[in-house]
Amino acid sequence: MQQASQTRPQLDVRLIVNGRPHELRIEPRQTLAEVLRGPLGLTGTKVSCDSQVCGTCTVLVDGLTVSSCTYLAADAHDREVTTVEGLANPDTGELTVLQQSFIDHAAFQCGFCTPGFLITATALLEETPRPTREQVIEGLEGNICRCTGYQQIIDAVMTAAERSASS
Amino acid sequence: MIHPFELHRPGSVAEASGMLRELPDAALLCGGTELLQVMKMGLARFEHLIDLKRLDELRGIRRTDDGLTIGAITTHRELERSPLIGESYPAFVEMEREVANIRVRNMGSIGGNLCFAEPHSDPATFLLAANATLELATADGRREMGIGEFMLEALTTALEADELMTAIRLPALRPGEQVVYRKLAFVERPAASVGCKVRVEDGVVREARVAVGSIGDVPVLLDAAANELVDCSLSDLEAAGERAAQIIRDECDASDDINGSAEYKRHLAGTLLRRALRQVAEGATHAAS
Repeated sequence: MQQASQTRPQLDVRLIVNGRPHELRIEPRQTLAEVLRGPLGLTGTKVSCDSQVCGTCTVLVDGLTVSSCTYLAADAHDREVTTVEGLANPDTGELTVLQQSFIDHAAFQCGFCTPGFLITATALLEETPRPTREQVIEGLEGNICRCTGYQQIIDAVMTAAERSASS
Repeated sequence: MIHPFELHRPGSVAEASGMLRELPDAALLCGGTELLQVMKMGLARFEHLIDLKRLDELRGIRRTDDGLTIGAITTHRELERSPLIGESYPAFVEMEREVANIRVRNMGSIGGNLCFAEPHSDPATFLLAANATLELATADGRREMGIGEFMLEALTTALEADELMTAIRLPALRPGEQVVYRKLAFVERPAASVGCKVRVEDGVVREARVAVGSIGDVPVLLDAAANELVDCSLSDLEAAGERAAQIIRDECDASDDINGSAEYKRHLAGTLLRRALRQVAEGATHAAS
């Protein structure tokens, strides 16, 4: 196996993950989810359907939501990647308004989809700080939750928008 | 895990075409939403991927004398957010806004969608109805091709081995002309899709194109269905639409798949056409008032 890994194509990349630069030697075939969860140890990002449908592997690359299960880590070279671990304040651990709102609304049960929902909703609120309920539903339609029935999640995003506007 | 491959990043279209000639077992990569998916599933295996994402000459939207020219690597998200398309071709934006999900739209390119030729493609059906043409290039030169000639069968296009798609040309809408696209989707990709381009003048349909997609291997133009609509007044469009829908149900190629039986999907396509024509009539009435 050692020999095989030496003959496989390798690539040096620089990923800026949650504000911290990482120099890594990877294989071109590695997905961003593999690199985040493996060498970088950031297991907050989950992989479920592995086919860009469920949304649980969602991360931000330069502010855009992508399915990290089907995104080459090589393509994130020199780009800013944000995972669920990067949302809270890195110094104080203080949660974002959105994260706190998810807790307040009990917007999860098993929690497996939550990192993807938080990332998607973060991007949504970045682009549309005061969304209508319709816009939230539309914005989250690419993320699947099998526990909550979605109402609490939508409520949590709406509340987060209201709290951010009034703060 | 994806089978190991080497990643190449050409600096020009000519260089990309040269790589396709020289590298054995190579494929073009853009957003990867289609290609990486099938490679992960082990359905396709390539030793070399040629990444086009950095070829800025293939990105962006330009207005030309006769319409819009869209660079092949422009993403769905860039298209849905384009003010240029929004003002000159809102139906195209509406279609793009409903492609798959936001993550796929952020990464997936319009050219990649068309070149992969997955049968359930929103843009392919829309662009066939809209009478779009494609610009294809090798290291030796460029050619243009109607989108109807481009899609040969499921997952197969008319691209030569060393050729890539560089642009999509969307002809401008003429006065009285509109494109309406309707689909039904149970999962990310449409189960059935219908696009029609209709020109209405003085309350009468003068020209019509009807494209049906997603139910068979490739989107198809149905001239017989379109002919039912021509010379029809807006008040008779409902009845003519039912005759055209019957032609779809009788004649359109379809295959059974996860979305349902061939017969069911032909039925869906007929219904989508009738709904699309209702929208055409409303649009034409609104424009006239």
